[in-house]
Amino acid sequence: MIEVKQLHFKYPTMKNYVLNNINIRIELGQIVAIMGSNGSGKTTLIKHFNGLLKPNEGFVKVFGKDTRDDSVAAFSRRVGLVFQNPDHQIFSDTVWNEVAFALKNFGFEEEVIKKRVKWALEFFNLIQYKDTSPLLLSGGEKKRLCLASILAWDPDYIVLDEPTVGQDFLQKEKLREVIKMLATRNKTVIIVSHDVEFIWRLQPRLILLSNGEVAMDDTCANVFQNNVLLDKCGIVKPQFVELFDQLTPLLTHPPLDVLEARSIFLKLMKKGE
Amino acid sequence: MLCGKLTPLIKFVDFTFSYLDSPTPILKSVNLEIEEGEFVLLVGPSGCGKSTLLRCINGLIPHLYSGTYKGKVIVDGEQVSEKNISTLATKVGFVFQNPENQIFMFTVEKDIVFGLENIGLDKEEISRRLEWALKILNIEHLRYRAPYELSDGQKQRVAIAGALVMYPKILVLDEPTSLLDPKTAYDFISTLKELNRSIGITIIVVEHRIDLLAKVADRIIVMDNGQIVFDGPFKEVIKEKNLHLYGITVPPIINLQNVLSESGVNFPRYSLDVKSFSEMVKKEVFKVD
Amino acid sequence: MFWFAEGLIYRRQDSVFHTIDPRVKLFVSIMLFSLSLLSNTILEFLIILSLIFFIGVLSKTLKRMAKTFVFSLSFLAMVFIINVLVGYDIMFSIIISLRFISVVSSTSIFFLTSSPDELELVMKSFHLPYDLIFAFVTAVRFVPVIMLDAIQILDSQRSRGLEIEKGNLIKRIKNYLPVLIPLIVQAIIRSEELAEAMESRAYGYSKKKTSYYSLRLRKRDYFAASVSICFMIAFILAIYFLHI
Repeated sequence: MIEVKQLHFKYPTMKNYVLNNINIRIELGQIVAIMGSNGSGKTTLIKHFNGLLKPNEGFVKVFGKDTRDDSVAAFSRRVGLVFQNPDHQIFSDTVWNEVAFALKNFGFEEEVIKKRVKWALEFFNLIQYKDTSPLLLSGGEKKRLCLASILAWDPDYIVLDEPTVGQDFLQKEKLREVIKMLATRNKTVIIVSHDVEFIWRLQPRLILLSNGEVAMDDTCANVFQNNVLLDKCGIVKPQFVELFDQLTPLLTHPPLDVLEARSIFLKLMKKGE
Repeated sequence: MLCGKLTPLIKFVDFTFSYLDSPTPILKSVNLEIEEGEFVLLVGPSGCGKSTLLRCINGLIPHLYSGTYKGKVIVDGEQVSEKNISTLATKVGFVFQNPENQIFMFTVEKDIVFGLENIGLDKEEISRRLEWALKILNIEHLRYRAPYELSDGQKQRVAIAGALVMYPKILVLDEPTSLLDPKTAYDFISTLKELNRSIGITIIVVEHRIDLLAKVADRIIVMDNGQIVFDGPFKEVIKEKNLHLYGITVPPIINLQNVLSESGVNFPRYSLDVKSFSEMVKKEVFKVD
Repeated sequence: MFWFAEGLIYRRQDSVFHTIDPRVKLFVSIMLFSLSLLSNTILEFLIILSLIFFIGVLSKTLKRMAKTFVFSLSFLAMVFIINVLVGYDIMFSIIISLRFISVVSSTSIFFLTSSPDELELVMKSFHLPYDLIFAFVTAVRFVPVIMLDAIQILDSQRSRGLEIEKGNLIKRIKNYLPVLIPLIVQAIIRSEELAEAMESRAYGYSKKKTSYYSLRLRKRDYFAASVSICFMIAFILAIYFLHI
């Protein structure tokens, strides 16, 4: 479990605190989304989860261990971070070696590495590229490669920083399936995202950050009902939530997706006849 | 009585292009006409050739990127392959995806003036155009700021300014909002629409975020595998089935109307946003006020 | 981390000296640099160093000049010791060291007080090829960006278990590859995107470009230049006729 208590953080060269008194607990098997306007501290917060950044006050404990008590490598073994730009991490001569990199760093045995890399590449449909240079892959393939690299070492927590940027519909669907699959395997997926429609389909626990503080930490449905807070954070509601707002009491709850919306409307229109 | 149309501002005639190191063409026999003043949205899955198409309009292809170039691309009556990029820069402005890598100078003002210095205009003219661009894009207060003092949204506005001062007839944008948060992206697109309305500049934008452009684009072109699959008014094309197979994220409320239409339910009006859909549904379907 | 470089990096400051035309500032720097090479006695160096000190006070950059000064002191001590060991007499070694300090300080005056914008305009006034000037401007503009990239890349790789502090020398050098390669790749991607943007804004339209900004000499520039020239003449005369 990740436990954040009274976390205060500011960058050494800056005056203002970026994170103010953050208190969060994240157990295994959850899907958690972190949203907030630019500068609200989202990326800064997730960097605390594997010890890249350490709190000025308060603490962050991962599986009971304070992040100040061990190396980033040790925490990364259990908390995997995938940053937004794949070009910031791709460097190996082959796709295979790119995925194997982290496994080698963590001290896995050769046999295990072979199995894990093969699994990861097959799962993300990249096995045909195993001997190609990763720099030659397309943007979408690079993003899949980064995800494959993280899942290869099987961390308990997977943290994704803006995974849907620049992705088209099919790529986003695949991502959604992967996230759901991970949650069923008792992993926790933490997503930082601006994409409200993508988040709405996932129905995660939603943590809203504003000015470095936790403004709200609740189910996705409840957070998207808080108009005042959403306005303050510059967040636009998912269209189906807005639909529910406009058509209450005809609708009893916001539809999860287009299929549910369709059946609700078909029923309503039958009633009206 | 006015007769006939003006010749299209942009014309692709049976155009095929493959990059130097690739045997397969990225654009295959493309035929396309865009009139002056249109606001066109260009979409398609990754690798379909949309970014390449944009670069054929301002001359980056074939002048910066060589390859096998067949057919014609005609912009404002002249063939792109016969004019160099620097001349085309006064006809076609280009705004790129990454806000950082298109601002070269130390201050906003200097960066906007960059293109005008290059084409050798006199100082008074440069000054006039500079003031106009700062005003029309609402960035007068950013005039002396350095790039690192600007937010990404502000950088993208500065990028438009740098292109607009060249007085182009066409503004081409390659995923300009993909690195921006939704609110900033929305403001950016509104600015584009305002420019299209007020000065009549033709706008061609490649974007994944259809929801932002639903009420703003007159026309949508869907590409796949180097060819144009759909091309028409936004309201018509967006009703097509299986747009998601082309990587397009159809906004939920539009998707809902399409899906209900397949089930035999047709509404009196087709709405592009939640508000107008709800109002229509309440008044005309459920007869509620 | 790069504290000793503080003496070479420009920072905005509201001092009279900063507002002087950069060509005059360059002249002052070069003049002091040349006089440092010409000087041979302790008295001569004391005069030069006092002038440098005075300029430091005038331009409010004394503190940062001093930081570079402290750095050069250690280097200096090394030069001094080597000279003594090799057998040059002490006086000679002192002179060498003083010359070193003077040369470094006089150079730093120009760089401390001139912004990259001014450097660009100076280069333009010398009619250096525009491609060169543009390369310089772009480099300075993107250095902070590249540094930020480096931090992000390091974060990404550390999150994959990379420990750059560990291991013997060879392992540590190998550990820098996962940081260097993405950095270089990013730099290449960046230059491609820059090239596209530059071309799209008519770079290379013609050899004749308008200079919207230009340097103009004002009263204070003429004053500073005359004072410097007088000082230089007086100094040279004093060396040869008064044998100071």
